[in-house]
Amino acid sequence: MRTPAHTAASVATVQDTAPRDHRGSPIPTGAMIATRFMELRKRRGLMIALILVNIGIPTVFLVVRLLAHAIAPQSYGPAGGYSIYTGLVAGVMYVFGFIVAATLGCTAGSVDLTEGMFRHLVVTGRSRLALYLARIPAGLAIVVPLVAAGFIIVCSVCVFAAPTRLSYDGTNVPAGLSRAAFENWAADHPKLVICDFSFSAGPSSPVPAVINSVPCGPNGPIVKAPPGSQGPGQATVTPAQLRAAAVLIALQNYPDYSSDFLYPSDSLMIRTGLWIELEAIIGFIVGLGLASLLGQRTVPVILMVVLEIILTPLFSRARIAHLLNLQRSIVGVAMAHLTPGGLPVFGGGGGGPGGGQGNPLLVPESITWAVLVIIAWLVGWTVLGAWRMITRDA
Amino acid sequence: MSTATVPDTFEHQTESPWAVETHGLIKRFGENVAVNNVELLVPRGCAFGYLGPNGAGKTTLIRVLLGLTHADAGTMSLLGYPVPKRRDLALARVGAIVDEPRFHGHLTGRQNLQILAAAREPAARDRIGPALERVGILQRADDKVSKYSMGMRQRLGVAACLIGDPQLLLLDEPMNGLDPAGMADMREMIVSLVAEGRTVVLSSHLLDEVERTCDAVAIVDRGKVVRQGPISELLAGATLALQVECSEPDRARRLIDATRIGAHVEVGSLGLGISLPAGTPRDVIAEINRVLVEGGISVYRLQEIQASLESWFLQVTSRLGAPE
Repeated sequence: MRTPAHTAASVATVQDTAPRDHRGSPIPTGAMIATRFMELRKRRGLMIALILVNIGIPTVFLVVRLLAHAIAPQSYGPAGGYSIYTGLVAGVMYVFGFIVAATLGCTAGSVDLTEGMFRHLVVTGRSRLALYLARIPAGLAIVVPLVAAGFIIVCSVCVFAAPTRLSYDGTNVPAGLSRAAFENWAADHPKLVICDFSFSAGPSSPVPAVINSVPCGPNGPIVKAPPGSQGPGQATVTPAQLRAAAVLIALQNYPDYSSDFLYPSDSLMIRTGLWIELEAIIGFIVGLGLASLLGQRTVPVILMVVLEIILTPLFSRARIAHLLNLQRSIVGVAMAHLTPGGLPVFGGGGGGPGGGQGNPLLVPESITWAVLVIIAWLVGWTVLGAWRMITRDA
Repeated sequence: MSTATVPDTFEHQTESPWAVETHGLIKRFGENVAVNNVELLVPRGCAFGYLGPNGAGKTTLIRVLLGLTHADAGTMSLLGYPVPKRRDLALARVGAIVDEPRFHGHLTGRQNLQILAAAREPAARDRIGPALERVGILQRADDKVSKYSMGMRQRLGVAACLIGDPQLLLLDEPMNGLDPAGMADMREMIVSLVAEGRTVVLSSHLLDEVERTCDAVAIVDRGKVVRQGPISELLAGATLALQVECSEPDRARRLIDATRIGAHVEVGSLGLGISLPAGTPRDVIAEINRVLVEGGISVYRLQEIQASLESWFLQVTSRLGAPE
């Protein structure tokens, strides 16, 4: 057997110095992030599924609409436009972006453990915290472009295939009119306005008497007249009376009209893009932490989907007196309060466009509190996931 | 900060002659003591066998040494660095296979090594090719690991160790899944690694492989190291065994029992099996022969049986059926 003295003489070919690469540092190296990115990107099945969900579904939907409109433009409206945009972004991309990101986060947080690589990595002597933190930029380097790609497709179609005239209450109205211009347009098209626009009449309003004299077809004008208001109309009304009634109706509809557009504005698209990216980042970080904590992928993915699809809409709408603070501390509720103005709130009870801030259908929460909740979720789940990774037996 | 103190500490620590040193190491899983007050000294630059029956605590000790799980008591050091305090510095020059080596199946062997190299020093990336070549899977390095056989994954595990240019390799059952040719290759590799000045700790239950590969061994039983040292010295302390082919074996046994030699005699199909206490002078062999011949027994063959690691292992572990 070799003695220590014997060994000292024979150590010629092996390095006798430890590499000085700060491997105890909690900061991951670029190479660690790059290889972690490669490991996730090479999961072909997962990547295909994520692309299908986040890019494929909105793309197929828009392509079908484009084709339908191209083939039968009278029956099918344009593929793009403001309403399509708000519906797709708030109803599809927001939710799917979260689920896609959460799935990737759960994968990143658990596969080293389940596939036996965690032990190899720990044996390198590299800080376990660095091993955990390397997953965050690597995963986000996939999630952020993926969500952005789907979003850019939606924006492009909604802008470039937008309708040329605004369809308001079923009537083609020029878009972007000022209040005065809208009144002028209404005065020029009294019959359209009287028959198609909704109107809420007061008890002494002369409008019902005027509009009832206009033949509007089987449905008649859309008027909400209170009890005691004027009954069936006069035998004849002058064109001036018709124009005056149309202007009154138009004025009542202007706030609603002014929140409707042909296509989303640049600022709305930027704010919406940042908002759904934030939602996706939250999904990834929370999924990563949860999967690291539980040491597996399937259950965390299910929990994340339940959180997004069931718990968040439920706790956003229902005001449970004793649980209000708990409801406010749910990240989805906080994110609903950050919904950009002009978008309907997901799970907000069908309140229509208008964004989350001050939405009466949402559990009340200040913007500051909502931001703090989001930060707490990001930091808290990162700490939990990292703690479990550091303390876990490999 | 800490980097400033590292070189001094390192120079000091690496003067330790021991690649692995543990004192009073204990690891419990509930009531079960998997590592029981282990005192282990592995000299640098040798192949060291860590032997024990299944469930003896071999893998647990390696996991504790590598920081994969925490020790409940005791101290330990790898290459002179106290663990877990300087674990990062210690493991920078350690390679290990623990249990069955598993990798990301959707990646190639080379890509798996790239992930591990990224967690090591930058130079580790340059060692991937040579490591794959050395373990004999360079041709399959760009195949997905999911298509690898068990033996190939073992080889990839060794390659994963080698990319760190380790001074110390802790190999837990590295022969598992290897065919005879693969086992011979692995044996050769271990010998060549030791020849380069590296220390190889080979945890195994394959006594024959350990005897052929290692310079020294420690025998672990029920979490406790019961013997350790160079194989030659340990075997010298084993009982002396004789095989005697003779006429009238039962009478021959009674004749030997009647002497004060202190031999344990058993009658078997091949004749008499005689065990003599360790350290018995060789003159006793001649004395036995004389007693038999003078007693009228015809002795056809009297052979000293070379003590093997296996027979010695069975003597010192509790798995030989000795009373509890």
